Amino acid sequence: MNSKTENLQRYDKPLTFTGWFKNVWTSVTTVLKGLSITIRYVYAEKPVTIEYPEVREPLPENSRSRLFNDVENCISCYQCATACPVDCIYIAATRRDKEAEKIKTKDGTAIRLDLQQYTIDTALCCYCGLCTTVCPTHCLTHSTDYEFSAYTVNDMKYDYLAKDIRMWRDRIVKD
Amino acid sequence: MHNELVTLLNSKANGCDATTAEVECGDQPIFVEAAHINAALKALKESTYEFNVLQLITGCDFEDRIEISYILASFTKNHEVIIKTKLAKPSSDAILDIDSVCDLWLAAGFLERETYDMFGVRFNGNPDLRRILCPDDWEGWPLRKDYVVQEKYKHMLVNPQNKINTDDLYFFDRQKKEAAEPKLWSGSWKKPEFPAEVEAKGEK
Amino acid sequence: MSHDESLDTTPMQSENLKSELLTLNMGPQHPATHGVLRVEIKTDSEIIAEATPHLGYLHRCMEKHCEHLDYRGIIPFVDRMDYLAAMSMEWGYCLTIEKMLGTEVPRRAQYIRTMVAELQRVASHLMFYGTYAIDLGAFSPFLYAFQERETILRIFEELSGARLLYNYIWLGGVWNDMTDDHLRRIAAFCDRMDGELEKYHTLVGMNKIFRDRTANVGVLTAEDCYSYGATGPILRASGVDWDLRKTRPYGIYQELDFESIVGTGEMGTLGDCWDRYYVRMKEMNESLKIIRQCLEGIEEGPIQGKVSKIVKVPAGEIYMRTECPRGELGYHLISDGGKIPYRLKVKSSCFTHTAMLSHMAPGQMIADFVASIGSIDIVLGEVDR
Repeated sequence: MNSKTENLQRYDKPLTFTGWFKNVWTSVTTVLKGLSITIRYVYAEKPVTIEYPEVREPLPENSRSRLFNDVENCISCYQCATACPVDCIYIAATRRDKEAEKIKTKDGTAIRLDLQQYTIDTALCCYCGLCTTVCPTHCLTHSTDYEFSAYTVNDMKYDYLAKDIRMWRDRIVKD
Repeated sequence: MHNELVTLLNSKANGCDATTAEVECGDQPIFVEAAHINAALKALKESTYEFNVLQLITGCDFEDRIEISYILASFTKNHEVIIKTKLAKPSSDAILDIDSVCDLWLAAGFLERETYDMFGVRFNGNPDLRRILCPDDWEGWPLRKDYVVQEKYKHMLVNPQNKINTDDLYFFDRQKKEAAEPKLWSGSWKKPEFPAEVEAKGEK
Repeated sequence: MSHDESLDTTPMQSENLKSELLTLNMGPQHPATHGVLRVEIKTDSEIIAEATPHLGYLHRCMEKHCEHLDYRGIIPFVDRMDYLAAMSMEWGYCLTIEKMLGTEVPRRAQYIRTMVAELQRVASHLMFYGTYAIDLGAFSPFLYAFQERETILRIFEELSGARLLYNYIWLGGVWNDMTDDHLRRIAAFCDRMDGELEKYHTLVGMNKIFRDRTANVGVLTAEDCYSYGATGPILRASGVDWDLRKTRPYGIYQELDFESIVGTGEMGTLGDCWDRYYVRMKEMNESLKIIRQCLEGIEEGPIQGKVSKIVKVPAGEIYMRTECPRGELGYHLISDGGKIPYRLKVKSSCFTHTAMLSHMAPGQMIADFVASIGSIDIVLGEVDR
């Protein structure tokens, strides 16, 4: 069988007698230099591993993790749903009666629509933050929760009008 | 520079009918006849302008035509030009033909394959014309404006119903139909297209 | 004893024995292909005769998505193409739209954008350093590179809110402002990195084993690079002095003083894998130089220019290119005057570089091929979009 070693493309220069000794010398010196660097990391440098989950570093305040919508202050303006690039926010609202009592948000904007459905599909969400920048009352914010994996995809749809999610308000919203 | 290129093209590559027009905003392209594209690009490559690099081959789908753009650049003389050709599209799923420029620049191999994959434009002379980004047996030309994705690929459903968030999507429509005064309900949602199974079941 | 004719092996007969090429699949799941790249290799006893790359395993059809999104909503999508250099992708896109609209970006935003893009270049080249070393079997530099990247990613997390996909560079400026604390930490990082880079180069680049594996391997001449449309560090390693930050400056690069690094072929041939590695290592030093100049020159002022609430780009087309860590990134936008682009095409450098694999492969051994794939530094997100 004709071995095709002659097809092998190498551009090296042919090896000489002194070349062989030079190779041995450079191999030994460069490997020793490299080893001195790595051995210094073993003895002289402190380890930098963060031993999660025993040690949890806090995320920065403006970290874009799980979303939270404070529905008591939401005026149903639909800005977040239109800004979302992946269309993961579902909103439905009814107009309030003209005779009903006038309610306002925290910063004084009048609420004219009753929010009936505010669902965010956090599995679709790309955590880009475009919805939080356009919210006029700043009721939609990013919290710093990052441990929210669920067993089924349906559990990733968060209904912000439900009681259990509304209870997060004390932890997340700072008045 | 564009006017000189036009005169050069019209003199060197016969029949290519190069035209160009001033634009207010953006870059100014040069339009060339599709049948003589190889000769025109060869003339540009071998001219004193030295367009030695082919940067991009791309297409754009309009109603009656597909426009193929070739963006050439010169790394020695530091300029670039956009050459465009128009290919008439007789029907919405027709495959169009044009000559390949693989003999001039080897970069054209992958770029033409991508244009073939996305628009259905066949490049005659490309040594390996087959789909590059989509699977080899995919049907349809994705980047055409009237493209509808196929229902099934091999044995798999492409958009299975159970992966679409149907409950939340149709909440507003359902409430509007069931409510006593539908005018009071408003939703942010763009009107969803109900697929055939949902319509048949009467879920909406 | 009867004479068994089938045992006759005269030289005449052995010449009729034929050998076939072995088809080997360097499949989509492979630790050394930097993503989901499938290369079909036909080898003849360790020497490759032909290599065909098969792409499309990460194709998300971003260009089709862009035809349904408004201009601001495309920025998170554009991040996700080259996810290791997201700031550069966003900057290129924002420059394209700003050129069409004619908006003026304030000076402070220009300085912040340059600093952030150069920090991203350092992070991306550190990732190349770590993964190239681990492809060739050296496990320590990978963790050193990632530890250095941690500092950069923490700064980015405090600036934008995310570690990898930032959505930070917006049309007309940037999202959040940089505080003095950030500037101090970036300055400390720059001062520390110069010494560390020297150490890392000694550890990997000058090592005889690394040199033997990468010098004279995967040689690309300047003519090959022109023909294949190679740009960025690959073109510069082949001896061509073409850096978009110097030849077609954008932003404030005209006012900054830095050199473009060109390969010299000192370890082997001009344009081999060692040159490509060396160009990237030296580019990190130049990036640190640029960051220091930005830190000195940064001005006070607004960080966002005037962009209308609903962005409408006038009709026309434009092709804008910027220098990404991996090569030249181009955005070809065809607009019809509306709120959403008619056609946005992304010219990704990694896509054109993948074509060079089938050019470099014939005549190499399989281990050399792994070194060649690593040296062109592809990210499949950008290849497949």
